[in-house]
Amino acid sequence: MFISPAILLFVVFVAGPLVAAFALSLFHWDLLSTPEFAGLDYFRQLVTDGATVRAVINTFVFALASVVTHIGIGMLLALGVHRTMTRGTKYFVRTAYFFPFLVSWAAVALIWKYVLDPAFGLANYYLSATTNWLASPTLALPTLIVVDWWHTIGYTFIILLAGLQTVPAQLHEAARVDGANAWWRFWSVTLPVMSPTIFFATVITFIGAFQIFDPMVIMTQGGPDGATRSIVQYTYEKGFQSFEVGYAAALSLVLFVVIMVVTGLQFRLSRRWVHQ
Amino acid sequence: MRGKLLDLVLVLGGVVMITPLVWLVVNALSEPIDAFQLPPRWIPRPPTLQNFQQVPDLIPFAQMAWNSLQIAVITTAGALLTSALAAYAFNRLRFPGRDQIFSVLLAALVVPVQLTVVPIFIMMRWLHLVDTTVAIWLPALVNVFGIFFLRQYISSIPRELDEAAIMDGAGHFWILFRVILPLARPGLTALGIFVFEASWNNFFWPYIFLSSPEKMTLPVGLVSLQGAVGGGPAVVLFAAITLVVLPILVLFLIFQRSFIASIASTGLRA
Repeated sequence: MFISPAILLFVVFVAGPLVAAFALSLFHWDLLSTPEFAGLDYFRQLVTDGATVRAVINTFVFALASVVTHIGIGMLLALGVHRTMTRGTKYFVRTAYFFPFLVSWAAVALIWKYVLDPAFGLANYYLSATTNWLASPTLALPTLIVVDWWHTIGYTFIILLAGLQTVPAQLHEAARVDGANAWWRFWSVTLPVMSPTIFFATVITFIGAFQIFDPMVIMTQGGPDGATRSIVQYTYEKGFQSFEVGYAAALSLVLFVVIMVVTGLQFRLSRRWVHQ
Repeated sequence: MRGKLLDLVLVLGGVVMITPLVWLVVNALSEPIDAFQLPPRWIPRPPTLQNFQQVPDLIPFAQMAWNSLQIAVITTAGALLTSALAAYAFNRLRFPGRDQIFSVLLAALVVPVQLTVVPIFIMMRWLHLVDTTVAIWLPALVNVFGIFFLRQYISSIPRELDEAAIMDGAGHFWILFRVILPLARPGLTALGIFVFEASWNNFFWPYIFLSSPEKMTLPVGLVSLQGAVGGGPAVVLFAAITLVVLPILVLFLIFQRSFIASIASTGLRA
């Protein structure tokens, strides 16, 4: 009786739709006419449709870059803030890096569209550039990676900082007595103790990055020429703009498989480096 | 010396981080002719609220704010309730298939909402619920992560407390609401903050389901305002964004401790 509300909702809004997505991917359907059995047509199309391949590549590039920059710089920030600092400085730094995470993606994307405006934006002014960031086929995706970093680094930073605070001071002290220098103490004490936190942050960042949608839709519409289109955005276009429901379902299954495989792989690899 | 230098780098980085937000507020407070000047003017002279007054002429801002609030409150309260009930059952009760059902739920943590959105859209269309706020909060009432998180939390509460209550003749509802949940308050707060924030900021789901301006939530409304403004007064858009962003930032400054604790413990991301 206690679980029935949750289970009922789960069946209707998670398990049911999951099964339905598999079924939908086997049919041609535009939401209006009678669905027509398509077999594996859409899965064949996934491989031959250049736009899908492009969207998958874009999403992987985005996710990899996102994880490396979030974990790498986030770790440096956490180490920087964890040292002895005056209270005021610590408060300012922590708050300043965390603020953007509180702003909804819709607002972030709109603000940055103006910051990046080639004529009157702050970016070009301070960089003394005349670049049209979002219209460049080579720069648009890296630009969105930077905007995403700005938006979510506060989250990664707080998680890593919390992890860093769990490292017992006695361990550092012991290593110091044994003559270990700062670098060696980081490598042999801090990193192993923090490994579960780093692992967790990596998994979450990957999953979040694979689902990226908002900045592409609001800032670039996937352009220029598909250079920033993500898997989810392509799913949206197919399902809700051109009403190829079956194709959209097939695309969303690709996302599901990608997330499952990458997450599974990380858990497998984690046995080699994560200390429990 | 090296420490001071590092502090300086971190502080400068912090200034760069908040620059776009300061620029947002400054432009929102500027007269249209003074806004978006380069080099930027960091103090609007004189500050004006006229851009804010124009927001309701372009979008039903108050209605959108109400929709956002309504959806976020129902989602948070509902998800906390269903999660708490299920978490209690999975941790404290014995029933056939308990562990199997729980592992199925756990496996569902990797199912992205983007996979379920297409079938749910079809279901909602069939129920004539597309373009209603119900379509937004109803599917959000089940939160697999919430069940998992609260189960962990409840398992750390000693069972002797329930046993004492059972001796006194208490039923499971009484134990859950009078013994367990009061002790699980930090966990409930952390989860609540996160569910609320995720709902308040959500763009993907409302963008797909809501199309009429008076049904929209704030994030979708802001994006629609961009369309309505076109090349026109960007200052009005900036004023609207400020109205959305500023309350959250102020709330954060007040409840910083609970916010940070919420992130560090749930580790969940919008």
